[in-house]
Amino acid sequence: MTDFYEQLLEYDLNPYFVFNSNGRIKSFNKEAEFLLNYVSVKELFQLAVDNASHDFGFSQKYLPLKFNKHSYYAILVGYASDEEIALRLYKVVSNQTNIINNSKLKLVNIFSLIELSKNSTLLSNEIKINEVYDISLPEMKININEFLLCLNDCFKYFENDKNITLKVQIKVGEYEIINNKKFKIVSLEFIAQREVSVNAALEEKASKANANIFFTQNKLKLELPIIL
Amino acid sequence: MKKFIAKSDESKKILNIVQVSANLPVNVVIRGEGGVGKKLLAKEILPNAISMDGRFLENSIINNSINMDQYKELIITNIHQVLNKKEFLNNLINIKIVATSKTLIQDIEEQFAIKVDISALGNRKEDLDEISNIYIANANEIYNSNVSLDSIKIDISQNGISLKKSIYKNTLLNSMSEEDIETALENFISTKLDESNTYKYFLKVIEVPLLNIAKIKFKSQLQMATKLNLNRITLRKKIEQYFGNDND
Repeated sequence: MTDFYEQLLEYDLNPYFVFNSNGRIKSFNKEAEFLLNYVSVKELFQLAVDNASHDFGFSQKYLPLKFNKHSYYAILVGYASDEEIALRLYKVVSNQTNIINNSKLKLVNIFSLIELSKNSTLLSNEIKINEVYDISLPEMKININEFLLCLNDCFKYFENDKNITLKVQIKVGEYEIINNKKFKIVSLEFIAQREVSVNAALEEKASKANANIFFTQNKLKLELPIIL
Repeated sequence: MKKFIAKSDESKKILNIVQVSANLPVNVVIRGEGGVGKKLLAKEILPNAISMDGRFLENSIINNSINMDQYKELIITNIHQVLNKKEFLNNLINIKIVATSKTLIQDIEEQFAIKVDISALGNRKEDLDEISNIYIANANEIYNSNVSLDSIKIDISQNGISLKKSIYKNTLLNSMSEEDIETALENFISTKLDESNTYKYFLKVIEVPLLNIAKIKFKSQLQMATKLNLNRITLRKKIEQYFGNDND
């Protein structure tokens, strides 16, 4: 029976970790292994300690967390002794599994959409955009309407900047797995000369456009699978 | 079909935007003052679509007097005047829409992936020159005249609408022969001649423009009286009558 429960946890879509009192991992599942690519053990242990209940037992907390493109809406922290503490994270449901067969996806040249969005959003703007494009990028299937709405807001995000760089390229060696199929990833990097900060409205728009969005230092990065 | 004139950098960019949008499954809103060319731009995107006024369409939908299933694409003018915009657009979900608006429409901006703002004609000098040249050429052809743009005071207070009106009107006025003016005056008099308008009134209609121009041309009252072969006292009296005592 113990094996069964272990298997259940192992194949759970939500990651879990058990740490010892020194913050070392004693046990974790497959999802947790993926997550460790994007977040340190120390950070996760601290998350568990900070949110543990005062007494032995389990404590649930709803809090939005994002590590790279993985979003979580709640955590469960539990400990029954001073020797170990468990952390479980609850994934935000993704609609990615349906995107390949979405009838709204149309084959399009992404650069024409970028030009269109840039010209219409920044029509009377003096901003200088240094464009670094990988023109070998093939036409790909995109939800044009949602992508343009997201892209418009990306350009609008920088409308008061004097100059930015926009890099559009295929990510080398990285893939996104949707419905057990591997897709290459295109990234659109808006690089400014200032720090960027997380924008929840943009995150929502990116999600609708089946894109992942990242705000790191002076970069706003959009990534989407190249569906041919 | 009339085409959108794009000679200025701004208009060229806008025309490019709408031409690319024409091939995409997205809604477009074109914003700008009256007479800037919004409807012409909309036609560039959907040349075969029917154009409807927003309020009219809203009322038709409310009254169930229109079947929206028959439309795949639609130009909706003055969408800013629609009362319940969100509900209105919910009825048009499967239709490609190009809307025009005179104001920002923030509550439904998300329904339009492409938003185009077109500025007043006065800010687009190259377009203004080109459009003026087209209008004056057409007006000269119609009135069989040879009026130049320099001799006309154009009015762009309502962009293309007032521009066209001012050019056609001035071309007509500048091209009228004595016979045309007599005919025009006769028409005017026949509509105004009743008990309320006296001889004095009609005399004023003739004399005020005459004295105005004579004053500009001859400068002094002495010169005016001499050139018009009119007694100076009579001239002075008329000037006082029409313009008051300040006009020397």
